[in-house]
Amino acid sequence: MLEIDKLEKILVGLKRVVDYNVRVRVKADASGVETDGVKMSINPFDEIALEEALRIKERGEADEVVVVSMGRTECQQQLRTGLAMGADRAILVESDDEIDSLTGAKILLALVEREHPGLVILGKQAIDNDNNQTGQMLAALWDRPQATFASELTISGDSATVTREVDVGLETIEIDLPAVVTADLRLNEPRYVKLPDIMKAKKKPLDIVPLADLSVAPAPRLTSVEYTAPEQRQKGVIVDDVAGLVAALKEKGLA
Amino acid sequence: MIVVDRLKAIVGAGGWIDDAQSLEPYLTEWRGRYRGRSPLLIAPSSTAEVSASIKVCAEHGVGIVPQGGNTGLCGGAIPDESNEQILLSLNRMNNIRHTDVDDFSMVVDAGCTLQKIQRVAADLDLFFPLSLAAEGSCQIGGNLSTNAGGINVLRYGTARAQVLGLEVVLADGRIIDGLRSLRKDTAGYDLKQIFIGAEGTLGVITAACLKLYPRPKHCNTIFVAIDSAAAAVRLLGRMRALLGESPQAFELISSRAMRIAERYDSTLRNPFDTASDWYVLTTVNFETSALENLLMSEIETNGIIEAIVAKNEAEAEKMWRLRHSISAAQKNEGASIKHDVAVPVSRVGEFIVSVEFGIAEISPRARVVAFGHVGDGNIHLNVSQPKTQSIDLFLEDQSAITDFVYRTVDRFSGTFSAEHGIGIARKEHLQEFRSETELSVMRAIKSSLDPQGIMNPGKVL
Repeated sequence: MLEIDKLEKILVGLKRVVDYNVRVRVKADASGVETDGVKMSINPFDEIALEEALRIKERGEADEVVVVSMGRTECQQQLRTGLAMGADRAILVESDDEIDSLTGAKILLALVEREHPGLVILGKQAIDNDNNQTGQMLAALWDRPQATFASELTISGDSATVTREVDVGLETIEIDLPAVVTADLRLNEPRYVKLPDIMKAKKKPLDIVPLADLSVAPAPRLTSVEYTAPEQRQKGVIVDDVAGLVAALKEKGLA
Repeated sequence: MIVVDRLKAIVGAGGWIDDAQSLEPYLTEWRGRYRGRSPLLIAPSSTAEVSASIKVCAEHGVGIVPQGGNTGLCGGAIPDESNEQILLSLNRMNNIRHTDVDDFSMVVDAGCTLQKIQRVAADLDLFFPLSLAAEGSCQIGGNLSTNAGGINVLRYGTARAQVLGLEVVLADGRIIDGLRSLRKDTAGYDLKQIFIGAEGTLGVITAACLKLYPRPKHCNTIFVAIDSAAAAVRLLGRMRALLGESPQAFELISSRAMRIAERYDSTLRNPFDTASDWYVLTTVNFETSALENLLMSEIETNGIIEAIVAKNEAEAEKMWRLRHSISAAQKNEGASIKHDVAVPVSRVGEFIVSVEFGIAEISPRARVVAFGHVGDGNIHLNVSQPKTQSIDLFLEDQSAITDFVYRTVDRFSGTFSAEHGIGIARKEHLQEFRSETELSVMRAIKSSLDPQGIMNPGKVL
């Protein structure tokens, strides 16, 4: 029997974000979102991306899963969680500066050029700023195919079949590898982490690379002026009948 | 009834219900065990209206049954069959009156749901610890009147411990305005304490000043598969010894309780690949790695089979949903005889083994579903109908089973009523298991505060 070509390596991005279930609060000085003492977790879409990479590896279709994060040293916590889920090693690109999507994509490109992965899987977007562009930017900079919003992914040799969740429904495409895939919610349900795996993860390799070593200069194109909480929604009113509804709409200048 | 008309006038349009169909949900306890009749439900919108209503009832000697979210389990909020008692619902008194971040306190109407109070506290970046399965619909007035417990008693105490002050309408309509937020106050008898846990038999709680806490840091939720209840108790002991007061909740779940919950809701899943006899669900406010090291050493030595650490809050919530659904899930399993008991924490393991053996002798195929707040010694020991036996045949053994459970509890220096209260369900047992001296003091308090016996008549004593 002919052996199918295996992917040597899958690269997965893990972003540290305020936990999905935490109610986000704006800092008192309006300079950003409060993260002090707030529960931080892996961006949920990135966790799905990692789960998919692990399943590919467990099916014998890849040899190694490498998780990557960028930002402050605290991101190591999320990388350790990724290692506990089953990733083989981790890389933290350390920087105290804010990293925007384009800088993030350039950093990923620098790592891609170092690591030569056969596949990069990212979350479709991060739940903190919902930009939904890092994956697309990486594919463009790398000049490789992209399959965003994946809800199903199968690998066969040097190509992948991806079902994408698009506005009109589902679209299935085939792409050549190496490529960038971004994970949507329904791709899989990430596994729980067991205590012995958490302990093992503490001994797995985690490289810390200072951003300066990658010759990527952060060039933030956006300046944050001020953060404010969304306006409180007004309480609804119950109208008695259609005439009441029309009158209420007129009063608000909507009819 | 002239009383009915006078009460309607006090609460005004929209403040009362008197037709049978609309009254129905207020006359039946959710498990269907208790049903009563009443000519009228009033839902006053202010303390003044509660006071005026009770004055009218006192004048006519008419009984009043206060009711919150009607999530009780012992019939305490259901009127009797006489069709003469007035239902007093706190539904319309549901405002947060006042919050004070620097004082770590808030003043709430009795009809606020527990969940609303938790959320308002969270919005202030503070924490209100009372938490139980019915929190979406139960009301704080009911929680206080029954001195509710729930999952965070281990660290924060019962409902009683959360109260700084109370506003109470007495059986003659007078109002005690005790909404002080003081931590220290030795000015005479601490009157609020006698209304907490009195189940509405001494007066109606209309508002409370509640204690708030700093939001706990490092909230880690861990699911543990363990080989015995006794091992769970030992684990808790070591966690407390090494991590101080950081275990916030520590819940024991039997394998049968786990299976029942999974059957009840297909979105709930045992997080472990293989089943084990017992599980512990715990939330610990302690830095992760120290906790992991501790648990890991226990896995190697002390009966812990496996442990899963929630890696985010969504997972933690899923795990807690499993725990919280056990009570509701039992409704699907036929008749169930419920016991809400507590024994000293150190004897929980031994106690569960004793009752399981004893029940098997009385009703060999009955399914014992044990779960609960092992951290405070409170075990919900419910006995579900055998799959192959009729309800009637099973219920023939009810009193034998309950007597046996309560006698065992007594032997273990425990209580037959840990957190659900007495209501009408446990009245006889109160007479049996409390001393005549204690009972006579209870009767003296009742007759001095409610000489006519109009406050929630026939409950507790």
